[in-house]
This record gives sequence, structure tokens and C-alpha cells, in this order.
Amino acid sequence: MVNFTVDEIRALMDKRRNIRNMSVIAHVDHGKSTLTDSLVCKAGIIASQKAGEMRFTDTRKDEQERCITIKSTAISLYYELPAKDFVFIKQEREPDVTHFLINLIDSPGHVDFSSEVTAALRVTDGALVVVDCVSGVCVQTETVLRQAIAERIKPILFMNKMDRALLELQLQQEDLFQTFQRIVENVNVIIATYGDDNGPMGELQVDPTKGTVGFGAGLHGWAFTLKEFAEMYSSKFKIEVDKLMKRLWGDNFFSPTEKKWSKSGGEGYKRGFCQFVLDPIFKVFRAIMDCKKDEYMALLEKLNIKLQGDDREKLEEGGKPLMKVVMKQWLPAGDVLLTMIAIHLPSPVVAQKYRAELLYEGPQDDEAFLGIKSCDSSAPLMMYISKMVPTSDKGRFYAFGRVFSGTVATGQKARIMGPNYVPGKKEDLYVKSIQRTILMMGRYTEPIEDVPCGNICGLVGVDQYLIKTGTITTFENAHNLRVMKFSVSPVVRVAVEPKNPADLPKLVEGLKRLAKSDPMVQCIIEESGEHIVAGAGELHLEICLKDLEEDHACIPIKVSDPVVSYRETVSEESDIMCLSKSPNKHNRIFLKARPMPDGLAEDIDKGEVTPRQEFKARARYLNEKYDYDVNEARKIWCFGPEGTGPNLLMDCTKGVQYLNEIKDSCIAGFQWATKEGVLCEENVRGVRFDIHDVTLHADAIHRGGGQIIPTARRVLYAGMLTAKPRLYEPVYLCEVQCPEVAVGGIYGVLNRRRGHVFDEHQVTGTPMFIVKAYLPVNESFGFTADLRSNTGGQAFPQCVFDHWQVMNQDPFDDSSKIRQIVNDIRKRKGLKEGIPSLDDFYDKL
Amino acid sequence: MRVVALISGGKDSTYNMIECVRHGHEIVALANLHPKKDIDELDSYMYQSVGHEIIDLIAKAMELPLYRTEIKGDAQTTEKEYNHPVQGDENKHAIDAVSVGAIFSEYQNNRVANVCQRLDLKVLAYLWQRNQQELLNEMIDSNIHAILIKTAALGLFPKEHLGKTLVEMRPILIKLEGKYGINVCGEGGEFETLTLDCSLFKHQRIVLDEVKIIATSSDPIAPVGYLKIEKAHLELKQSSCMYSTLLHFH
Repeated sequence: MVNFTVDEIRALMDKRRNIRNMSVIAHVDHGKSTLTDSLVCKAGIIASQKAGEMRFTDTRKDEQERCITIKSTAISLYYELPAKDFVFIKQEREPDVTHFLINLIDSPGHVDFSSEVTAALRVTDGALVVVDCVSGVCVQTETVLRQAIAERIKPILFMNKMDRALLELQLQQEDLFQTFQRIVENVNVIIATYGDDNGPMGELQVDPTKGTVGFGAGLHGWAFTLKEFAEMYSSKFKIEVDKLMKRLWGDNFFSPTEKKWSKSGGEGYKRGFCQFVLDPIFKVFRAIMDCKKDEYMALLEKLNIKLQGDDREKLEEGGKPLMKVVMKQWLPAGDVLLTMIAIHLPSPVVAQKYRAELLYEGPQDDEAFLGIKSCDSSAPLMMYISKMVPTSDKGRFYAFGRVFSGTVATGQKARIMGPNYVPGKKEDLYVKSIQRTILMMGRYTEPIEDVPCGNICGLVGVDQYLIKTGTITTFENAHNLRVMKFSVSPVVRVAVEPKNPADLPKLVEGLKRLAKSDPMVQCIIEESGEHIVAGAGELHLEICLKDLEEDHACIPIKVSDPVVSYRETVSEESDIMCLSKSPNKHNRIFLKARPMPDGLAEDIDKGEVTPRQEFKARARYLNEKYDYDVNEARKIWCFGPEGTGPNLLMDCTKGVQYLNEIKDSCIAGFQWATKEGVLCEENVRGVRFDIHDVTLHADAIHRGGGQIIPTARRVLYAGMLTAKPRLYEPVYLCEVQCPEVAVGGIYGVLNRRRGHVFDEHQVTGTPMFIVKAYLPVNESFGFTADLRSNTGGQAFPQCVFDHWQVMNQDPFDDSSKIRQIVNDIRKRKGLKEGIPSLDDFYDKL
Repeated sequence: MRVVALISGGKDSTYNMIECVRHGHEIVALANLHPKKDIDELDSYMYQSVGHEIIDLIAKAMELPLYRTEIKGDAQTTEKEYNHPVQGDENKHAIDAVSVGAIFSEYQNNRVANVCQRLDLKVLAYLWQRNQQELLNEMIDSNIHAILIKTAALGLFPKEHLGKTLVEMRPILIKLEGKYGINVCGEGGEFETLTLDCSLFKHQRIVLDEVKIIATSSDPIAPVGYLKIEKAHLELKQSSCMYSTLLHFH
């Protein structure tokens, strides 16, 4: 029952001001996919009556079985906005066009799949934040909202599961209002923390009186905003819709007897929201649920609801099935949400104006940047590929992404640039033709001739050249579109091997495919030959391994116990000046290592301090916040590992000849040493390395990379060994929701696992408690199962990576736990036993 | 011209001699500096000094007189530019030119040029500033049979690479050049070589009887080691195709 054709959509793609790219984001189980179904149902891809039961966007078998979204899914919707609503659109729109093209991405809510959310946010401009009005704002709501704001995505709010509040909790009208108001406040607090109402995006706060907050029940297919109710009453009160909306929220009370509004309430006055919005809904609910036929027949008459066909039979019985059809007909969720999206979310033309500077890495005045900023379909092509979607053809993927500038077309010759591409160089760059462009619609794809900027689409044939993400352009001097920053990191890892050793090639091939299919998962080969799969959490890994076994490698595999990745660091300044000589003995580097001040590593993670910053501004920031010497802070050679990591190489030398000639070699050695630390070849974190002096051979030929790179690496290792090395372990922020009786059990489990509770409170208006705790990732395996068995299955945890915590023990003490960890890692990686000795890296003068 | 050739025993000085002969010069004598007795390896700025025991054999094989002096004292200056009159290394010979195997080391070249200028001698350095990869190919094509006797660079491992011939090393060196930017001819001290045979060896070639690998730094990243030659002798050349099979390690 597709009621729109590809040609129609293609025509609409050119009407850029009538396009909305949006994602649906929320905490797990708050009803995103179900809600999305009602939108899809409205846009007519599946039959209306199946909406609410189908989870259209859960395309995978396991998603449907588990009732959990794992992959984000995109669909294009087609909506005609009623003419009366055009006055509400405050942004520019296409003249005389009533159709809207809405590209919607449904994303997973479970924290383990946050990377999918990140990928979804990148290609959209607006977000529908769904909150279960019974559970309220949860940890993942905050995480995704924060990410949305950081990517300059405009949020609107939807309070879902109102049916539960009415039927299960039997909340009174005033209580329900208070619950709603608290959620709106909570959401606005998060928005205010991470965003700025005076920023380039304009006002971000959600406000029911402006229509940016919706209410309803996705499962039953009904929804409303204050606008719908204001329209019903506006003729009666003779007040304009937008003014009346303000009366229907907050402290505005109405007395039916005196027919007057009041700000303070009092005898005979009732809150506008309760009186005019909740009361009619409560009445309909009560009448139908109590099966009072006369009452509800009268109400249906009054509300002008006429049931058709099969639905008429339900009139006789009353109860839940009738309530569903009545509410759906009265307040159809699809129309309400689509209207809300069309009115309040920005078009690509509007959004790209303020997003361009965040998206583009290159100069802010070249053709590509201007093309993005003005969303110009005749400018050079700039497209960001945010993820790979498996095709029915095993091992092949659609490259999924957003066209930000120009037009992408079937057969077009384009430059395919991976994340490591550097302008002017040839690495990570392919110039190839695009085999085919396609529209992605949930479970189906449709070929399409070309796609202009502002739209989301898939490409065929690009997957061979990109690993996960990349930029596609026709502009020769184009820089990359900025790489996405994930809010979670792959801290849990397992080693895999085929049950039958002869299947190894299949496993390797399967791992390659797995790495492509998921934005976050990492597939690594250790020096010991082990194949490692790293994911964000247990569930994420479980899904990845299942995919690997069943879809990608198609062979039985053996999986090791999960292991955690650590970070190496130092706790004091090196106690001696470290010296290493080059292999030819003609060059010497003198260096010391020391820990960074608290917070700097996090600042680098967050991008407050970056290698791309103007160096003077960065030096000032480091000086003010961390008391770094300004002159030293100006001489940061580089960040590492990967050029952006949380370690610094600083030039503290004075007047050394030829120093600049060895800079590149030192940087290469630094990147290497910070990627594979000295203790157990884990990444290094939070260490500042100061090069104090260098003596060099006078002849350039004697100080090439082959000489300096190993020397730099050795001296960095010596620096770490002499600066009291330590390990960081990853720690989860763990949120557990449960009834009061189970709280004791949670404490018990957390205590056994070195967890510590820092917050515990009751969700207002419900018997549920929320316990927040920090839990070392290393202790989290089997945590969910353990928790369930200790609380009679009543507690459900959500763990999300939060921070790195230093383990303050000496790794040189043979009996310490940290030494044990180092030994285990070294053994696993096939490294020589024991921490390398200083003599290996430190040379005598 | 009558030429005295500075030789280290390595491929560069050998190849430069071949070039001298090709250009019509006559090599009349060889000169070499050697470290003090009992010291095998010196990390010299100037000279290749590994394998000095063999220099005598080379001179015999080339049937030329050899002048040797012990390396005395330290470098008096390590600046790149060299224009100090240094006493003690200047001897008059009945010659017109000096053959030097420097390719890129301005340090070596400046010193030799300075001394030669004072003695009114020409410097013959045919390898100077040549493309190293080309040069390596030419050396191999001109049938210089040389082996690695010292390694000191990232990616070169004593146990693996010592004793290997230039032909065997060529792909490895080219790969490392791309990866870490090492000099394929070893000009930056990455490795040193010893010539066992070449077209200038008149009737005999060198055969190594007994060698030992000595590691001077066991650092796992860029280990340094060299080949100590315990015993070697000259042997009549038979046929050119048997060179590579005649090495024996103990």
C-alpha cells in the first residue's frame, strides 16, 4: 500500500525548504519504534490497521523477537500539511507547495547501541525526543539529547505511554499535569546545560505552549499537542489559537461558572490543561473502559467521531479495543506528529546554515563550505557516509548518508575519501563512479536517478572503498566532513577463533564485514595473532558475535571470556632525565614524562582542547585553566595516539639546531608509543612528554626516520617507566530502575562488584526507585543476570561508559592486582613476560 | 689520473673505485683507517669501521699496496662545515686524485674535500648526491658481491638480516624506505656492508670461514648488532654464479 511513488518523492527532493530530516531518539523501551510505526502508517507504506503492532523499522529478525531496536533504520515519508497550519511555520518555505518530504530515522535506545544514534544524528537536522511519561527522563534520554545538541540538532519532545499513566497508574488529572511539567523541566535543564538559547540555532527549549511538546500513546496510535485542543476551542472562546495555547498550560485556571480565566486559581477554578485537555480524554477513557454505552455514544456524537466498517462491531463491546479505534480516529498520532515535525523542525536550508561550520573541516570560504552553508544543489557534491547497511547480497553494503551540497547521481564520478584522507595526499582516496543511488525505506530500497542536497540516501558500490564512514565529493580540493564523535567507546572485548581451524579465512572475511556493518565495533588482530572484537557493552558484543557467526562468517566460532581495555598513564614526573641514543649512536633525545592536570584529558576527549585549535588561543586556555607555562603551551608538537588522543608531546628545548627536521620522526615515535604503551601495549592516556634537549648528528642523512623514530619511542618508554606508571580502568555509570523492595538487593550486588552508589531517589508519582552507581567495567560481566536473580527479576540496569579511573597501585609490586592485570594482558597479547626493564630504553651518556 | 682510493671495505667505496676505473683512471693504492686493536666497532661520524680485519684481504685481492693508520683521538670538531687545518693526517704521495664513496654525507665529503684541497688533489666521488635506489640497483648489476655486517635502524634485525647479500636485501630496504624513510644505501648509518667480491678483485675473492653475530643493543624496537669475522681467507675465483652459496654460519 505504498501511496507515493519514487517520482513524486524525487520531485519533492528539489523543494529543499519543505524537507525535514529527523531522527527519533529516546531511552530504551520508551516506545520509539512503535511511535514511528504510526508515522509510517500515516505515510502509507504499511496498512493503517497494523500500526502499533508491527515495528516497521525493526527490520531484523532478532529485533522483532527481542522487541528492541538494534540498528537505526531510515524511511522517507510524504505528508501534505493542511493549509490552515501554514501560518505556524516560522521558517522559510517553498511557495505554493503543500507537500513535505520527511526523512525519518528510527534509532536504538539501548546504551550499547549509542553509536547508531550518533550516526543517525549526523544525517538529520531535528530530533523527536520520546520520553515515557511513567519512567520520566532516563540516563539514555540525557545522553542522546546531549549528543543532539552538540551536533546542532533541534529537539522536540513527545510524552509517550499516556495510556499507561491513565490505565495502570490511574493518575489524577492534576498529578498527570505535574508529571508532564516535571519531564518538560528535566528536558529543558539538559538542553540548557549543553546548549545555548542565544546560540546560532536560536531557541532550543521545548515548550508545550509553543507546540514543541506532544502527548499521547504510540501503541494506541493517538497523540496531540496543545495546538489541536486550542483549535477545537478557539471559536468557542473567540481567542486566537496561539494565544489560547498559552492558557492551556501552566498556571492558568478557568472557572466554568464565572467564565473567567485567572492566574492564581481558587474556589471553582480549574487548571486550563486539566479542564480542556485532560478532562475530555479522561471522560472518553472512563466511559469506554467502564463499558457505559450510552455515555460513550453521546461523547462520540459530540466529538464527531464516526466509525467505519469492522470498527462498528467494536461499538457494542466497549473496552480497550474500542478505546483504541476511538482515540486513533479522534487524535490521529500520525497527523499530529507529522504536523509538529513540519512546523517546528528546521529544513536543511535553515539547518545547514548553522551546521556547516561544525560539519566541514576545511577553510570556511571554499566552494565546498559555501555549498553546504547555502544547501546549493548546483555546488560541488559533498556527501557524508555515516554508516553501512547490509544488503540482501551477503558481504555487500549500502553506504548510507546525507548529501550536504550538490547532487549525487547514478554513474557519477566522485572522490571517495576515508577518515584518514589528508587534502593533497593520495592516502585513503579513491576516484570511482557511483554505481547506483537508492532511496532507503525501512525494509525496502528503491533505485533513484539522482539525489540533491538536503536529502538522505544510499549508495551502491562505495562499500569497497570505505571502512565505516567517509566523505564523497566532486570538488578536488575538498577537505573531509568532520568524523563523528561517539559518546561510548569500545571498552569490552573478546577474542574469537573458528571452531574448525580451517575456517580461519572465513572468519577474517567475516570480521571485515562485521567491522563495516556497525559504526562502533572494532575488529583488531593482536600481535599474538588473536582476533579481537571490541564493543560498547555486553549486549552490543552479543549481537555483534551473533551477526558474525550467522551472517558474516557463517561458521561456528569460539569466543573467549570478555576482557576490558585499559589505559596506561603516569602518576608523577620522571625522577631522572631520560636519555636514548639512536641506533647509529649519533643522536640523543633527553625527555621527561609527567601526568596531565586533572580534567585536561577529558577536555581533549570532549574537543575543548584540540590539535586543530589556533595555538595561541589554546595556550591561553591551558594557561588559565591548567596553569601551564604559556611559552611551553605554545610549543605542543602533537596530540596522540591517532593525532588527537589525550597525550601531549611538548618541545621544551632551547635553541637546538635542526630540531624541526626531526619533528616528524618524533611525532611518529610518539604516536606509536602512545598507542602501545610500555606496560602492556594498551593506549596511553593523560601523559605530557617534555623533550628537554636533543643532540643531533650534523648530517641530515644520519638523522632520518629510521634513526629518530625508534629513539623517540624508546625515550618515551623510558620516560613513562621513570614516572611511576599506573593503569586507568574504565568505569560505567549504571542506572537501575526497580521497586523499593529490590533496592537492598541492588546494593548487595554492587558492593560485591566494587561498585559504589552515588544517587538514589524515587521517581515522583510512581513506586519506582532509581539507583545510580559507578561500576568498573571489569566487574560488569554477568551483572544484568546477577542483578535480576538477586532482585527477583525486578531490577533492570543500563550501563554506559562514563569515565576512566586510575588504579592507584604500583605495577612493579609483584603482588599487586594491577601487576596481575598487566601480566594477563601481556600474556594475552603474546608479549614477553614481565614489564620491560628501563635498561632496554635508557642509554648511558 | 693516478688515484688513491679510500676504502672501508663496504659497497660504496668499492663501487666508486669501479666507477673510477670505468672513467679511465688508474688506482694505484688503497688507504684505510682502522680502530685500535681489540675494538671491533666504533660509532664513528666519519668512517665505516666494521670488518677492518678484511681490508688486508681486499688489498691482496686487488693486488694493490695498502696504507693503514690507526684512528687516533676524537673528532676535533663535529660541525657539518669543515675548514680547520688539522695536523697529522696529511702525507704526500705521487698521486693526482682521491676516490671517496660518500653519497649524501656532507660531513664526510667536506672533510675529504678540505684535506684534498690543501694537498692539491682532486676528489673523485662519482656517487655524490646520486639517487640511492638507482645506485643500489647499479651496484647489484655491476656484480658487487657484498653482505650486511652491521644493522642499526628500525625494521632491521641483526639475527635476520646480517650476512644477507644486497640482492636479498633490496626488496626489504625498499619497503623500509617507504615505511620509515630509511636510506636504501645505508648512508644514515642504517647498515654497513662488506664487499666479498667484485670486478676489481683480480684472481681471488674473500671467503668467510667463521663469523659471530654480536648484539650491542637488544632493544626490541630497533636492535643494533654486527657480524664479527673471526676467520677469513682468499680463494681463487671459479665461476661467478657460486657466490651466494658460500657463506657458512656457526
